[in-house]
Amino acid sequence: MMWRDVGVTLILSLILPVVAQGARHTPPGKPKLTSCRSPDKETFTCWWEAGSDGGRPTTYSLFYHKENSETVYECPDYHTAGANSCFFNKNETSIWVNYNITVVATNALGNNFSDPVDVDVVYIVQPHTPENVTVGVLEDEDGPFLRVSWEPPRKADTRSGWITLIYELRVKLEEAEEWEEHRAGQQKMFNIFSLHSGGVYMVQVRCKPDHGFWSEWSTASYVKVPDYIPRERSMWILIAVFSAFIFLILTWIITLNRSSVKHCLLPPVPGPKIKGFDQQLLKKGKPEEVFNSLVVQSFPPRSTDYEDLLVEYLEVYVNEKQELMPEGKDLRDVGCLKSKSQSDNDSGRGSCDSHTLLMEKCGGVESKDESSYEEPELLQGQAGSWERLERGDSQVVDTPDSSDARVKTWPLVFSPSIHGSSDNHHYGTLEMPKQHSTSEITYSVPDHLFPTSTSFPHHHHPEYRDSLGEYSEYRHSRSPSTGVLYHWEAQHHPQAHSNFNIRNLERQKEATGLGLPPSRSMEYVEVQKVNQENQLVLKPLSSHGRGPSQVQFGRAVVDYSKVNGVNNDNVLLLQRQREMAEAGQYCDYREKEGAEAERYPTQQQGKTTKDGPVATQLQESTCLTTSGYVDTVPTMPTF
Amino acid sequence: MVLLCVELRGSGSASAAPICVHGQAGCHFLSLADLFDRVIQHSARMHSISSDLHSEFEQYVLPSRNHIGRINRHCHTATILTPNGKENAQRLAREELTEVILKLLVAWKDPLWQFHQNMVHQDDFNNFSSNKALEMSYMVHELRKGVEKVADKMQHLGMISNTLSGLSSPEALDPSSDTCGESQAMSDHDLLYCFRRDSNKVQNYLKILKCRIVPENGC
Repeated sequence: MMWRDVGVTLILSLILPVVAQGARHTPPGKPKLTSCRSPDKETFTCWWEAGSDGGRPTTYSLFYHKENSETVYECPDYHTAGANSCFFNKNETSIWVNYNITVVATNALGNNFSDPVDVDVVYIVQPHTPENVTVGVLEDEDGPFLRVSWEPPRKADTRSGWITLIYELRVKLEEAEEWEEHRAGQQKMFNIFSLHSGGVYMVQVRCKPDHGFWSEWSTASYVKVPDYIPRERSMWILIAVFSAFIFLILTWIITLNRSSVKHCLLPPVPGPKIKGFDQQLLKKGKPEEVFNSLVVQSFPPRSTDYEDLLVEYLEVYVNEKQELMPEGKDLRDVGCLKSKSQSDNDSGRGSCDSHTLLMEKCGGVESKDESSYEEPELLQGQAGSWERLERGDSQVVDTPDSSDARVKTWPLVFSPSIHGSSDNHHYGTLEMPKQHSTSEITYSVPDHLFPTSTSFPHHHHPEYRDSLGEYSEYRHSRSPSTGVLYHWEAQHHPQAHSNFNIRNLERQKEATGLGLPPSRSMEYVEVQKVNQENQLVLKPLSSHGRGPSQVQFGRAVVDYSKVNGVNNDNVLLLQRQREMAEAGQYCDYREKEGAEAERYPTQQQGKTTKDGPVATQLQESTCLTTSGYVDTVPTMPTF
Repeated sequence: MVLLCVELRGSGSASAAPICVHGQAGCHFLSLADLFDRVIQHSARMHSISSDLHSEFEQYVLPSRNHIGRINRHCHTATILTPNGKENAQRLAREELTEVILKLLVAWKDPLWQFHQNMVHQDDFNNFSSNKALEMSYMVHELRKGVEKVADKMQHLGMISNTLSGLSSPEALDPSSDTCGESQAMSDHDLLYCFRRDSNKVQNYLKILKCRIVPENGC
């Protein structure tokens, strides 16, 4: 029996909790008042949330009592505002009165009170959204703008002043991310400027009482802005057009004055002329060929062409009266004096006074009619070579045809050996004779040789004279195979120095035995004679002894000989001024063999035959000259 | 305290300064609407200061005092009958409404001054708050003067009758004796709470008055 009782007790004790558990209910959980709101400051609503219901149907009730009153009232309306809410109508709502509100959850097992909440209706006002939001696009002189207008929510009585609402609106482009918010105060209308043309805008409005909560945003209103050109953009367009116009005008002006502008900005830099350099080949992109042409053509110079390459030109003027005719026109007018650069590509054709006496071939010297004298023939022969050389030189040069008594510079044929002289000596340049068949080749003495002279007339053999009234006649002869230019320095004024530097001094190292010293300083040679080939045989002044074919050029001694005049025999009468200090008399003397020597134009002399002292037998002279001198610049050796 | 009460009695409402009549020379003419706007702005400022002070008090001072429960709050101005709703307020006549406003303002002048004095000697509030309290009491004084001017103007314009003159009489200040005692019983917190509410009332009543009398803007 006892066992049975124990067993029953055990079973019961096991079963009962299970049974009891299944049937357990608890009093409801604690509810909680979530919020109370009043849309118009005349009524208000409170909401709560339920706690656990404890397994039983639970009812909620709300009780309140007013400030300083013990009377407890229950919520008058549980339904109007929805579930778990209590709505206080106008009669039950008192403003500026503290409500103490409690919610009670009740179920079969008990009830549970929420925490009490104090509510003063004045401070829980949250109005509805503004109504009747309208957005329109209006036009202004600055462009379109939006006008947004709205009305206060119906329930809020702003008319009587009971509620004062302030408004806020926000705008954004439809595709934009951020809203742009604006406070509108108490006004019911707002303007928005600076719109994107053609954009679609969204606008929303909300409101708030002066002490309370913001309402919800109203539903978005969309508006499309018509296309327009903003005023400031049109102004910029105008400015841009105007600037472009001015720019065009300036460009046109600059284009008109292209050359002078270019001359101003980019002063022409004399460039080297490399004989045999073919630009076209280079442009084609075959440098090897170009270089080959350079190498092959002009360097090392073949002996036969050597003299061709040693081109030195002397521009001389023939006195008209004392025309050296029969050689007559043996002073060709080459007319190259002015350093006017032809419009060719050679930048070095800057000027006749360019340091580097870069002479461009002005064109083939053609003189057909050279029968009158030998020299022209020579020259013609030269011309051919010139032309040949010229052709070989692919640089653009002025064709003789185009020459029009303009100054042309001979290209320096010997470019490799040409040093641009860094000294400021002027070089006589030889002007290219006309190509057309003027049978005369004239050479004019360059301007700088005679600083006081003005430009030479080109075609004719000007009587050249300097300011002192002296004139000199220079004969120029060139070796048939080479053009030899002698640069004379004529000094008519003690101070005037235009030096004829016989060029090629530097490059005469390779010269055939002439052994011109490479120094660039001024060196002077004496014109010993004119050889057969109408070459001035020169000898350096300092050397007294001369080999027939050797012109030694010296050194530092500078001797000047003044050209006294030209005698009837077309002989340069030179004076010699040994030293300034010894300036004394004006000697006029003629070199011993001057007549012979200076007759070179007429003589076909062998290259190295004559040896006689040439015009500048000056060293033996004891005469002193007082002023003026002719510097005989070391020149190319004659052949 | 006795001195205070005597002072309250003694200080009647200051004699209202004469208001310019239209076109009076040397006088800046203010329209009634302008006057209303001014006093409404004034009252708005007064209320915002009181709100700030009250929230500061609740935030900093109250927790430290371990204020438990809520004592039945009793504002000393509870004796003044004030409309508690819109209809009630609209039912009142202009004169009555104006009178209520003035009563309120009068009732608060001294307690606020007292409050400020208390605060200066206490460490509960910082200087900023004590300045606010001073400003509050000053504003109440100014607002009262402004409302009196408005009332005078309204009377002058014939909008209201001349019953307001009774305010300056000592009878109107009778409650001050009670107020005197009441203000003592009020704690600082209650004082701030009560004043915040009363300033809101004043502001609201003024707005109602304005929209009723000069409903041009903002109504």
